[in-house]
Amino acid sequence: MVHEDYKEMIPARALSALDAAEAQKLNEHLENCAECRKELDDWQATAAALAFDANPAEPSPKVRERILDEVRKDLSEGNVVPFRSTSRNLWSSFGSLGAMAAAVLFTALIVGLVVMWRQNNAIRDELQQSREFVQLVTSPGARVRELKGVDVAAGATATVAYDTNGHAMLVADKLPRVPQGKAYQLWFIVGNKPPMPGKTFAPDSSGKGRMREQMPREALDSPTFAITLEPAGGSTTPTMPIYLSSSAVN
Amino acid sequence: MHPEPAQESDILLLKAIAARDEAALAQLYDRYRTILFGLLMRILNNREEAEDVLQEVFLQVWRKAADFDESRGRPFTWLVTLARSRGIDRLRTLASRERVAEAGAREVSEEISDAATDAFKSEQRGLVSDALAKLPDEQKRPIMLAYFDGLTQSEIATHLGSPLGTVKTRMRTGMIRLRELLAGQGESLGF
Repeated sequence: MVHEDYKEMIPARALSALDAAEAQKLNEHLENCAECRKELDDWQATAAALAFDANPAEPSPKVRERILDEVRKDLSEGNVVPFRSTSRNLWSSFGSLGAMAAAVLFTALIVGLVVMWRQNNAIRDELQQSREFVQLVTSPGARVRELKGVDVAAGATATVAYDTNGHAMLVADKLPRVPQGKAYQLWFIVGNKPPMPGKTFAPDSSGKGRMREQMPREALDSPTFAITLEPAGGSTTPTMPIYLSSSAVN
Repeated sequence: MHPEPAQESDILLLKAIAARDEAALAQLYDRYRTILFGLLMRILNNREEAEDVLQEVFLQVWRKAADFDESRGRPFTWLVTLARSRGIDRLRTLASRERVAEAGAREVSEEISDAATDAFKSEQRGLVSDALAKLPDEQKRPIMLAYFDGLTQSEIATHLGSPLGTVKTRMRTGMIRLRELLAGQGESLGF
């Protein structure tokens, strides 16, 4: 079977209508063919439109409750410190296994608890910022701009949401690591005026960055956003090149 | 949020969900529950099963939101593909033997959601039903039997008493025509 044969099968694949053997062959081809993967994405969009042929229907309110109950359970389990049985064994072992070994274990436990406590705080902070972000995005008159990485930061993305008072939040992903003593800085560009400096921020080890910002009033008039790499204390004029930018708006 | 289209805020909601924001998941659910539940009711024709699958779908969204890749399509496409895939899996598990014989014969839920949601959806429904009405029945039936009844091309051939090759050709021709008819409506339809 050649490329064109596989390509012809894709509309049926988007309807999950291929028989098992054909589906398996196509799946193997898709692993190695970016063009066909793109083709499948496009056909899936066409297939998804068929959902509008079904009459909308209202599920029981209990479904929403059940989903959110599960989510809360998941969140709370993610924050549990799992030391129950270990701690009991530890205390009983003081007498029987020797004070030295127990003391080592006890120290490890304390270190573990501190690490977990810090992780929990980090998760709580992240959650709080996510909530703020959603609140900001859904507030009346809120605007959102997507920034895309260029050249040195190809693949990086960022989103800036801001309200009519200039309260803004930036969420960035896939940012390159910053060298020692450097940080990313946000800029607001309006028309032909010089770029207005925003705050600096540093991404975490996975390339994610978040930052609250108060935009200058003059920057609220259809700004273009840009991010550059600057000294950690920030700059008053941007150092080239631009790492990420939003499209200019009219 | 105004004036950005719903897609953009959907992407932001998925990003927030990936960051474990429960409120964002609730918002996404409120936005798409009626269209996805309507789809699942059409596939499964059983309220209890459809609600169960709807719950599975949103829990999967909770766990897999980070996997959503906006370069590969819109959130609406991702959600519908996820819901339909789970709905068809459930249908195949429930009714493996009777499915081919009963395909297309099941009643369609007429449950309509609240007026505001329904008005929002009616434009998209109109676009899709107009496009489907323009497809010849011989092309439309294989598509609908695959999409809502989960039949494979061989099963459709058996169901319709048509040669397999004919079913394949008609399904493909129908999908190409459907895509042409929906071209330019992507923003309204979420893709």
